[in-house]
Amino acid sequence: MIIVVGLSHKTAPVEVRERLSAGAEALPVVLSRLAARSELQEVMFLSTCNRVEVVALASDQRVEPAMRAIREELAHHGGLARDADLAPYLYDKQGDEAVTHTFRVAASLESMVLGEPQILGQVKEAYDAALAAGALKGMLGRCVNKAFTVAKRVRTETAIGAGTVSIASVAVDLAKRIFGDLENHSVLLLGAGEMAEAAAKSLSKGARAVRICNRSFDRGAALAAAMHASATPWDQLEQEMVQADVVVASTSSRTPIVTRDMVKRVMKARRGRTLFFVDIAVPRNVDPTVHGLDNVFVFNVDDLEQEVARGLEARQAELSSAEKIVKDEVDQFLSWTRGLQVQPTIVALRTRAHAVLFGELERSLGGRLRHLPEGDRASLSQMLESALGKLLHAPSSRLRTRAAEGDDAGELASALRYLFDLKDIACEIGEGGDPEESEQGQDASGGGTLAH
Amino acid sequence: MEHDRASVKPFLADLLFGTTAGVYLAACLLFAAYLLGKAERAFTWAPRLVAVGVPLHAAQIVVSSLVLHVCPVGGIHFAMSVVSMLAASVYVAVYRRFRIQVVGAFVAPMALTFLLASRFVAVGPSDVPHLRSAILPFHVAANLIGVALFTLAFAAAVAYLIQERRLKQKQLGGLMQRLPPLDALDRAEHGFLVAGFPLMTIGILTGTLWAREVEAGGAAEIARAGFSYVSWTLFGGVLLLRAAAGWRGRRAAYGTIAGFGFAVLVLLLYLVRDATAAAAVALVGR
Repeated sequence: MIIVVGLSHKTAPVEVRERLSAGAEALPVVLSRLAARSELQEVMFLSTCNRVEVVALASDQRVEPAMRAIREELAHHGGLARDADLAPYLYDKQGDEAVTHTFRVAASLESMVLGEPQILGQVKEAYDAALAAGALKGMLGRCVNKAFTVAKRVRTETAIGAGTVSIASVAVDLAKRIFGDLENHSVLLLGAGEMAEAAAKSLSKGARAVRICNRSFDRGAALAAAMHASATPWDQLEQEMVQADVVVASTSSRTPIVTRDMVKRVMKARRGRTLFFVDIAVPRNVDPTVHGLDNVFVFNVDDLEQEVARGLEARQAELSSAEKIVKDEVDQFLSWTRGLQVQPTIVALRTRAHAVLFGELERSLGGRLRHLPEGDRASLSQMLESALGKLLHAPSSRLRTRAAEGDDAGELASALRYLFDLKDIACEIGEGGDPEESEQGQDASGGGTLAH
Repeated sequence: MEHDRASVKPFLADLLFGTTAGVYLAACLLFAAYLLGKAERAFTWAPRLVAVGVPLHAAQIVVSSLVLHVCPVGGIHFAMSVVSMLAASVYVAVYRRFRIQVVGAFVAPMALTFLLASRFVAVGPSDVPHLRSAILPFHVAANLIGVALFTLAFAAAVAYLIQERRLKQKQLGGLMQRLPPLDALDRAEHGFLVAGFPLMTIGILTGTLWAREVEAGGAAEIARAGFSYVSWTLFGGVLLLRAAAGWRGRRAAYGTIAGFGFAVLVLLLYLVRDATAAAAVALVGR
């Protein structure tokens, strides 16, 4: 059974989340500890800014010990003396609920910002790390792979990733709508506050140059060094605006720094080239009448926040469509796993039938049919193989169908085991992979023995 | 056998006409679906359909002129079909470079309209023997290509004004998301004007020389020349003021639209001339 134990922004504060998060260096260590636990058959460790989760596969009879083992390992990883300290923040899920949760996480339906695209990459990284550590072998790997498919479907079939949902991304989006791309354009930062830094970091990606103009030159220079930008003295502001294409203003000035007359002069010197102001300061740094000038656009924090709200609203509206996709995929996956549960019986039945029939054939070929040439022996072998396939096709597929439909196929499987005396033939659930593949593999190996 | 050969050309002309119209119509529908937000993929496929339509349209013009045994630019309707085909060709060649895919939403319906007009409302060629001149082919060719480029400049200018208005009003959703970036539209508009202006200048010069050669001096010819000069002055003014005083964006867009308006008036005068000539022919025939 698939289980999930973890915490997220919904259940734990950042102080707890950061203790449990695992970077590139810590991840192999924690993964190897988890993989070494005998209670867990397969395991994956997902660590993001907002979420730390262990997704694992445990046998149906050992779900509770498996969850306990995960809690212990998480407490150990977080440097906590008792795993009980983590208990208030942890959630756990098992079976259908765990699969649904995993799919929802990958599809970004559990994210702090609904539909954000980074989570899929983070799940992929966690999957790759678990694969490299040999901690994913069968059913859980398949479950995570299915989660990728779900995420892709949700992203392509709904508009959950559309729209812009942060002030910085709205500013970038607007700049792109005005300039196309920022490769040949430069960004000027007025002020060196945190808000400006966040917006400028997004805008500076791909920009030709970033300049920082701050009243305190030293502070501006320090930020410039951190952002691979260059600082410029405050008294050069007007000249800088002639060169810049995007101006991000975020100073704490009580009165507008950028006035209409100043921008008129700047636009004359720019020969009418478009100028875009992102004014995220409160009170505003750019005189609102500047927006009325030709080829000048001013967007303040309210304008940007309105767009953020619209984006979030649009994503929320897509939630029900995304949920339908998740439900559809969960049903498919669970149907596959139920099919997997009767697979050992099917394989055992085929193995038993194969052993009996081919045992008899071998005995005959060694006795009264020993005169038969090699070609006839091969024909007889093929004939038996074909008859075996036809005979067992109906019971195998009916058993699988009953299991996939969620009916109680256990009774049928027990009856088959009793009637054909299959109890001695052991098959591990979950390691068979695809039911179709195992069945074909079984046939192929069985058929091959006699032909040689 | 001769009869078979003779019937092949009209059939081919009909086939090309139908296919071209179908392709343009499909492009129009895809553009409409894209602009209405119904199909995001249309953004990729609609310009490709225009690209398929252009060679078919060119073939249709050639085959149809062979069927009718007339010069393709003899009458204004057929000439407008040529203009729309040229505009579509230029669009196909540059839409990726300027990122103006959506301008096809203007080009495709225009091409379809003039294609249909060339067939269903054409009043026949107005080739007047005494107006023939060696200059005429240069005059017609320069003007047709020039008008095709100005048509694209006009479409880019209109899209610019819509996009600029929405930005000024801070309406960021809907149509704004589907129009190209503001600067891309401004650059495209300028590029089409720069390419079209020398051709228009040649057209104006050859037109003036031709008028002197054939001693044309009727009211219609004078009006046509007057509108052409106004159009040329407006386009020239837009280019000059952009270079000298940094007039770009909204002002340049308005100038381009005004210049194109006068160019359209010239074409309308040609239309009236053709219609009048056709009516006169019909009257004499009766």
